[in-house]
Amino acid sequence: MIDRTNPVPVQTGSPVFAFTLNGEPVAVTAPPSRRLLDVLRHDLLLTGTKIGCEIGRCGACMVLLDGKPVNACLTMLYQVEGRRVTTIEGIAGGKDALHGVQRAFLEEGGYQCGYCTPGMIVSAAALLAERPDPTDEEIIEALSGNLCRCTGYGGILRAVRRAAAIGREADG
Amino acid sequence: MAMKEQAPGRCPEVWRPRDAAEACRLKTAFGPDGVFTAGGTLLRTQWESGSAAMPGTLIDLTAIPGLAGIRADEGQLVIGPLVKLSELMRTEAVATAFPLLAEAVRRIGAPSVRNLATIGGNVASAVGDALPALLVHEAELLWHTGGRTETTALEDWLADPGRAQGVRLLTGIRLKRTDAEAPGGPPGRIVGAYRKLGRREAFTPSLVTIAVLGRLSEDGTLTGVRMAAGGGSAVPMRLRAAETVLEGARVTPDALVRVSEAVLAEYRPASDAFAGAEYRRTAAANLIAAEWLRLAGAGREGDGR
Repeated sequence: MIDRTNPVPVQTGSPVFAFTLNGEPVAVTAPPSRRLLDVLRHDLLLTGTKIGCEIGRCGACMVLLDGKPVNACLTMLYQVEGRRVTTIEGIAGGKDALHGVQRAFLEEGGYQCGYCTPGMIVSAAALLAERPDPTDEEIIEALSGNLCRCTGYGGILRAVRRAAAIGREADG
Repeated sequence: MAMKEQAPGRCPEVWRPRDAAEACRLKTAFGPDGVFTAGGTLLRTQWESGSAAMPGTLIDLTAIPGLAGIRADEGQLVIGPLVKLSELMRTEAVATAFPLLAEAVRRIGAPSVRNLATIGGNVASAVGDALPALLVHEAELLWHTGGRTETTALEDWLADPGRAQGVRLLTGIRLKRTDAEAPGGPPGRIVGAYRKLGRREAFTPSLVTIAVLGRLSEDGTLTGVRMAAGGGSAVPMRLRAAETVLEGARVTPDALVRVSEAVLAEYRPASDAFAGAEYRRTAAANLIAAEWLRLAGAGREGDGR
């Protein structure tokens, strides 16, 4: 019934999915619908991406897909094939480097328990890449998919404002 | 075959058809065990919550040409179902001609969800929060049904989403520009509003969503009045009786009471553990009346300048 001469299965023979992870090419052998969250944490041992709600609400698993924030718990492996994935481990672009947002979170105390922090930083970095000098309203909108149960968000907002200022200083 | 290494229901196999006909053939072959998917955000939420079982097969639509992008021609807009919500709300042609749709989409999920989720999935779910806005804009749905293309008014499809026989694939959402209705129409300006009521201010599933649209003349008379309501697991619907109350009328306190009564009588929301149908009906009626009052008031204010 299915026309098998017209090749459609995403995964036949070798179930290998290639994509760029934190600037490096990777090839992962796993079922196509495996969650990116599980691929990152369990298959590639990058545990900076956190597991929270697992339904795209809390933002603890935020990663960048071609530079845009997505929830790794909602994203399946086959959906990232050939694309660029950036996790918290790669956000600064170097092993010991700190992204401006990471520096700002440290300086402003933008965290308490720290569990939401990787996701917050990924979302904030994506915002600042697109809008280097965001309004408070834009910061709140950009972080609306990231929940923090400790801070009350005050320190996080300060940190993102500070990161924007760091960016301006760097540019100036 | 390599596909069979995972137990069904745990990690579905994925097929990627290259055209709409092939997608329909696959769906026919797999039956209920094959599910069309694009962004997959709603499906994942359903699987995790247990409201839907994980299927054995995902039929990924993202490689099908012609389903992406937004085409504008001759006063109409055809939105491809693969258009991401984030792309849709940022498209100038949508924001200017169909601001209610842009506003509705801006209220769905959070930025990261909108970077994955597609408008086609929101529509095909039959409960998406974009639907009330699409209803008042009188959207039409384009379908591939095996061998041919079919067009259905969104309102007709929503009246019974499961009615259509056979396998079909959504290939476009067509909107006619309100601007295009101006020539020959009555004088006045287009006014409209979209409101979403949830349990939080932002990034929350809806309890009630409403959309209203009409043409407000300088003397305060409304024509072309359209209203719709939805939210939660309710299938959104046009509110025809409420529309009749305001058609050709002015927004007076008496008219608003009758609009509100009409909404209470005809809107059929769904209950859940958090909010009963009665609450949602009342909220829909109040939101609609409040929006018409605001829109008519803004009109008078504008005239005075």
